[in-house]
Amino acid sequence: MTRPFLGFGLGLRTDHYQYIEDHRPDIDWFEILSENYMVPGGKPLAHLERIRADYPVVMHGVSLSIGSTDPLDEDYLASLKTLAERAQPEWLSDHLCWTQVDHTNSHDLLPLPYNEPTIEHIAGRIRQVQDYLGRQILIENLSSYVTYRASEMSEWEFLDEIARRADCLILLDINNIFVSAHNHHFDPMDYLLGVSPERVMQFHLAGHSHSGPMLIDTHDHPVCDPVWTLYEAALKHFGPVSTMIERDDDIPEFPALRAELAIAEDIAGRTLAAECLPPRLAQGAA
Amino acid sequence: MEQLRAMQQAFMGHLLGRPSDIAAAIQSTPEADAPTRLGIYASGYRLRLKEALETDYPQLHAYLGDMLFDQLMDAYIDRYPSHVFSLRDYGRHMPELLDGLDDFPALPMVRELERIERAFNHSFDAADSAPPDPAMLSQLPPEAWPGMQLRLHASVVVLHNRWNSFPVWRALSRGETPPEPVEDTAPWLIWRKALVSRYRALEAPEAAALHTALNGGDFSALCEALLAFHPADEVPREAVSLLQTWITEEMLADIVTDR
Repeated sequence: MTRPFLGFGLGLRTDHYQYIEDHRPDIDWFEILSENYMVPGGKPLAHLERIRADYPVVMHGVSLSIGSTDPLDEDYLASLKTLAERAQPEWLSDHLCWTQVDHTNSHDLLPLPYNEPTIEHIAGRIRQVQDYLGRQILIENLSSYVTYRASEMSEWEFLDEIARRADCLILLDINNIFVSAHNHHFDPMDYLLGVSPERVMQFHLAGHSHSGPMLIDTHDHPVCDPVWTLYEAALKHFGPVSTMIERDDDIPEFPALRAELAIAEDIAGRTLAAECLPPRLAQGAA
Repeated sequence: MEQLRAMQQAFMGHLLGRPSDIAAAIQSTPEADAPTRLGIYASGYRLRLKEALETDYPQLHAYLGDMLFDQLMDAYIDRYPSHVFSLRDYGRHMPELLDGLDDFPALPMVRELERIERAFNHSFDAADSAPPDPAMLSQLPPEAWPGMQLRLHASVVVLHNRWNSFPVWRALSRGETPPEPVEDTAPWLIWRKALVSRYRALEAPEAAALHTALNGGDFSALCEALLAFHPADEVPREAVSLLQTWITEEMLADIVTDR
């Protein structure tokens, strides 16, 4: 099976615009937060244009609310499509969650009950979105803190079945698997083995925090060792998958994040065959 | 989908701090019961909205201090659940909230600082437009000048304050102690040039000319507005000088003529 492999990327953050434009760092791609660029003009779009000229980008959204029982937000979708036409991303993604109901927005990625009616509801909405955008989208697994009594299956069965029925792709967040495995007592390897490899297009890596007995997905710490271990297992199982680190709080200087991404590259270097790596890494490995 | 919808409404009710039976739909575990697990979402909801307001109003926050600004944010969040998809727009009802308050400290200054910061936020990502080419003015035949329309850049905002809120804002933004409140009606301009938000005080003639242009008045109307400040024979020169400044300063989006 061949999937497009972009190599190793980072989330594009405003703090790093200048550094990236001045130094053109040797990373393979950037992920942009769609909503930050769904604006009339000014700095965000100007920087995006400059950086897009030098790097592939993918778009990652938080407001699709694919699991909501509200109708799909047509204004949001139109704005998303306009941005996609402008940014020409390799692909675009959002989360397997709901964010709003009765037109009230939680601005959070809220979990869903894992059952048949929810699968049918969401698969239909993803198909609608894909028809509108004229392309497949990626759906990402969450970190979650609650389990609904109405759930009838594991999260990975739920995700995989939705992806199959909607014929969409999957963004697998390795940190979110780790966090949810801790919070809901499942084996993260079961998750990795339960997802159809041919649908997995991208990995997210991130840090999390502890809050009492729970782990919270805060994106304000470096990736921790057990998540690196899980990432290695994921690479072994899925093969080369485009990988990036998300950092949204306590954002360090760009070189520090770049150094963290080098850990992912090292893991890939010893896990994947040299011909699977981006040329700049394959040469080093040979 | 009735069940899913009812569950989502109950979950949202919980986030908004309203009576909700969502806990009954959530599994408890020995280390964390349903209310504890749900509490993570409820506190996250408020924190996220506060972060959005803090981002929008850093100097208002500095002026009021943590405690009062927190009170203001709590009042806002209780009254205005979010109906927008981007947190960038969440604070849009702040003027309405402040207009409705009557027992909050320093309200006149607070209202003006809010307007200043809102104008800066607007200018940051207002629509782009390329400034018109100054050479086009020299090619314009004399008969085209009176009906010429000046379209200002989307970032341009003129603020008429009653108090010295701009000097207060400026001191706060530099980390300095703000001056005492005094009446000060000088108009101020906020706009964006070379991607950076700018501000400057306006002399009365330029403020009047900008108002005319902002309200759709043509070049002859702009000259008429300047008659209140300059002798008639100096008005055309003053008007052209303003026009050139506005082009250089990237304050114009377009110059529209009948030709």
